[in-house]
Amino acid sequence: MSISVPDSPPLLTVKGLSAYYGESRALFGVGFSVEKGTVHSIVGANGAGKSTLLRAIVGMMNRGRAAHINGIVEFKGRRIDHLKTEEIVGLGVTMVPEGRRLFASMSVEENLLCGGFLARCRSAMDETLESVYDLFPRLADRRQQPVSQMSGGEQQMVSIGRALMSSPELILLDELSLGLAPIVVDQIYQRILTINQRGITCIVIEQDTERAMRVATSVSVLLEGRVVLEGDPDILGRDRVSAAYFGIDNAGISR
Amino acid sequence: MNEDLYWALIDIANGLLSGVMLGGYYAIISIGLALTFGVMRLVNLAHGDLLVLAAYLAVLALQFVPMSPFITLALVIPVMFGVGYALQRFMLNSISVQSMERRGMSTGYGLMSPILVTFGLSIVIAHALLGGFASDARIIRNALSYSAVRLTEDLNVSTLRLIFFGIAVAILLGLHLFLKRTHAGRAIRASADDVEITPLMGMVTPKINAMASGIAISIAGVAGVMVGMSRTFQPFDGPVFLLIAFGVVIVGGMGSIVGSLVGGMLLGITQVLAGTYFGPSAQLVAGYMLILFVLAVRPQGLFARRR
Repeated sequence: MSISVPDSPPLLTVKGLSAYYGESRALFGVGFSVEKGTVHSIVGANGAGKSTLLRAIVGMMNRGRAAHINGIVEFKGRRIDHLKTEEIVGLGVTMVPEGRRLFASMSVEENLLCGGFLARCRSAMDETLESVYDLFPRLADRRQQPVSQMSGGEQQMVSIGRALMSSPELILLDELSLGLAPIVVDQIYQRILTINQRGITCIVIEQDTERAMRVATSVSVLLEGRVVLEGDPDILGRDRVSAAYFGIDNAGISR
Repeated sequence: MNEDLYWALIDIANGLLSGVMLGGYYAIISIGLALTFGVMRLVNLAHGDLLVLAAYLAVLALQFVPMSPFITLALVIPVMFGVGYALQRFMLNSISVQSMERRGMSTGYGLMSPILVTFGLSIVIAHALLGGFASDARIIRNALSYSAVRLTEDLNVSTLRLIFFGIAVAILLGLHLFLKRTHAGRAIRASADDVEITPLMGMVTPKINAMASGIAISIAGVAGVMVGMSRTFQPFDGPVFLLIAFGVVIVGGMGSIVGSLVGGMLLGITQVLAGTYFGPSAQLVAGYMLILFVLAVRPQGLFARRR
């Protein structure tokens, strides 16, 4: 029996992950891992497969003939690639989907309560709710307001808050900046850093490479369904990342 | 007061009163259809037959144990919940849009198949009832059939209708609170809003659909007992109630509880007033004219939620 644990496994490991929509393939053997407590950014152009990758991790690509995946996804050393989305969420992984996807007929608080649907979340529901309001005071003032009457930024806060309600250990954030003013995006990413400081590991997808690199402790660049570059954003540097983003001068990069 | 004017006012008051009472009854007939459509985008063509099935269930129960017909609800509600739950879980879930997609079939199949399957189910239920109970018209006998509550000298309301109205309001209020205040209720509403995302909340879509269907069919069961107590019914009467339900849902708007109640009342008032002034044959025509009018002017219904 060893006293010290030299290398605890990464929180999330993805190995040789391929994804298909019907016959067409969107991911080609993607691999990366994310350490606990970090912010991992995945950057890439439109159609590089970023959203597909996140959807695959949370089991939303397990749709029979319409969409499926191949490969390994491990969360805390346990394979989750064959599980259903609700089971994966039950284990502590969740996603803030692209386009926010709030429940349009409901108020702010009802949306948040939906996020805490899991049986394991219900006992501490009030505290979790307060911690979300603490994070986004603006929502606290608007608890009863229908989400359909809110600004895009506020809706994004609700969507993030709703994901937090399931008390995740890992949260996947899909293009938070979509359709929002830069100043609002700044505020929201401030909050993401706060969330990360509370111990929640984040995977961030952004088309805006600058922003993605600023918040990240590690970054993977996705090009046409493959990881073409990965590492510490400060060491890689902006030029190499944007070269990989556009698929220019791949020659020097080996994986 | 001028006597003619007095009687004219009494006519209108009676029409409004009966119409409102009828509205509660209509709302209970139709809320299940609105619920299954709102949550699962599924038009259950067997809705009316399931309602008639519940009426026969009450008849059967009363043959074994003579009791107040209202007590049969204690049997009818759980049995019909089970029927609705099982129907969705073991039959309709496997032909939903998502399930069809899994099998590599287009959305069209997912929308069309439940219509065909519930149409088939409608025929099966009607013929099974014919086999089991023959085609004789039945009624659920009760002590209140001819009783009325007297409001003024010339203004009465049927006791049965008044009780039904009370039950209807209680059920609609209960449903409202359930959908608003409980985790399960919110999950049903969340599914109606965006079923692709609900698994991210840890919600299990097939179970939520089955629960919604169970609730819908158990309320249809209550409607069945009400129908059976207020008029005669036969095995093939299902489509009559399906049509009422469609009418209410069209007038009131899909997926709105208040809409079902108000839609039911509007339909009820229109029918009763048309009957009063133009004779019984005008009743149905006026009802359908209202439905056509609403479809033409406000196709989403009067109380449709904005999406």
